[in-house]
Amino acid sequence: MSGPLGPGSPTSDTDLLRRATQIRDEWLGHALSTLPADRPATEAAITELYETIGQRPPRFRWVDSPAAMARLAPEESPDPAPVRLRAADSRNRVSEWPTASRLATQMMDLRRGLDRLVNARLAGAPVPPGLRRTARDIPPEDALGRGMPLRPLLEIAVGDPLQASVGDAVAGPLRTAFTTLAGRPVGPVWSGQHEAPWVARYDTWRRLGMLPVSADRGRRLDLWASLARSCGWWWPGEEVCVVAERPLAVHHEPLPHAPNGQLRLHRDDGPAVVFGDGWGVHVLHGTPVPEWVLTAPTAERIAAERNVEVRRTAIERLGWDTYIDQAGLRLLATAPDPGNPGCELRLYDTPRDVRLPPSRLLLAVNGSVERDGHRRRYGLSVPDGIDDPVAAAGWTYGLPGEVYARLARRT
Amino acid sequence: MTMTLAQLGERSGQNIPDHLERATTVPVIDAPQAQGDLLVIPYRLVEDDVHLPPAQWTAVPPEGIELLRSTTGGNPHTLVADPGTCHWASGGVEDRTQLALGALRTTGPAYLIHAEHGGTGIAPGTYVVRRQREGTGIAGRRASRGRGVADRFGYVHTRVVAD
Repeated sequence: MSGPLGPGSPTSDTDLLRRATQIRDEWLGHALSTLPADRPATEAAITELYETIGQRPPRFRWVDSPAAMARLAPEESPDPAPVRLRAADSRNRVSEWPTASRLATQMMDLRRGLDRLVNARLAGAPVPPGLRRTARDIPPEDALGRGMPLRPLLEIAVGDPLQASVGDAVAGPLRTAFTTLAGRPVGPVWSGQHEAPWVARYDTWRRLGMLPVSADRGRRLDLWASLARSCGWWWPGEEVCVVAERPLAVHHEPLPHAPNGQLRLHRDDGPAVVFGDGWGVHVLHGTPVPEWVLTAPTAERIAAERNVEVRRTAIERLGWDTYIDQAGLRLLATAPDPGNPGCELRLYDTPRDVRLPPSRLLLAVNGSVERDGHRRRYGLSVPDGIDDPVAAAGWTYGLPGEVYARLARRT
Repeated sequence: MTMTLAQLGERSGQNIPDHLERATTVPVIDAPQAQGDLLVIPYRLVEDDVHLPPAQWTAVPPEGIELLRSTTGGNPHTLVADPGTCHWASGGVEDRTQLALGALRTTGPAYLIHAEHGGTGIAPGTYVVRRQREGTGIAGRRASRGRGVADRFGYVHTRVVAD
């Protein structure tokens, strides 16, 4: 197999793929960077972006975190008014749109143009039926070995995992926390280092020599790339551009069994992401949680929590035994777990709580062992009125107890 | 065809972790079996609740069919079988409990594989694959549907379990 480059360059698809995953990891590093912002580089890139839309350089206002931006006095904030476009509105001329809107338009033009180029190249490399799904689950070099063409493999090995890790797993919880905190529209925001996924996608194609990018587009991509390497979130206004520092710490763990370096946030003794002013988010194994889940989980707080994932995470943190004890659950019955030799099903009655619908708790044990050799216990809520643990387990699969009792094997 | 977990993993392209018993032969049986939050159950045991389509069955391809993937862990439950032996239907399978992912018909051993839960061996026959749910409310005689259904026994609200 030969690559697109000339002599002295990487020539095989294997080499190109290796180079692509290096570029991916380089961008992942930028996206997770906790270094102080490179303020000169940031201000230079934003100034040049303003120039490309015919706007004078802004004054820069640096803040420690997105939360600090939300707390700025109105006169220090960029114009937060959302654009309202109407046919008769004189602002329905691009040159009179707010700076943020014109920057957004310009960025979307760039991305659309590059997408067209990338999509044309993807269309020229059809994927054999069924292979795309398999390729997501195996190391990319194995996917290549199984006949996955390099071009679509680049999407699976670079752009998609960065979007999952950075866009969804890291920036996602921060966006939610920021929006909740701000409680009001604060104008369009760009996310600096968290723009890495889309920047990296085009940058990879470009650096591998697989995408001819015009000088103009290349220059504009460089500006966004420079921001992704230099700063946190930023809010462009007419006169003032507010830019946030990067976080002080980002704690993460690999996503289990993910072959393309995907990760999720996780820290069990403090915020998973924390900024210089102390603002941050708490996340356990990818699930964003309120701080009390880490610091002081109690049955009472768990009962008052509406989000079922948060509730489950909090109970597991507290421990099932402690939870059952604290919540005053009464053991109704136990039974051997069909298909799961040596394990027991335990059915508990839950005290009535007017805030919650009636239910019972079925405590079961996993059929397969964890990496540490233990079997995880898990609780399932089942409707009130079921008195037999086997019938309760059957109900979770829509089966009567006597059918569930015939379960031969659980793994 | 009896297979070990390691062989199944190789065949489905999944990395079976070392802490599972990789060298153990996966038993091939025709009884109900659970794999994490999925249940494989012989059709005859649920035929009153489940309607199978006459058509819409597709052959399980060599690389298998991914039946369900968990949202947080990224691991799929994958159905694999020797070419030509196993057919899968999802569209057209009507389950009164709304829990069926689909149904399979196999003339040889078929396997359901999951990187954390291991392997489930399925003997020739017709089976329904169901998801697991939890719920609150007051239990009725018959399982209720989706987001909550009032029946003469009360009101039950359910959600599917994703592990």
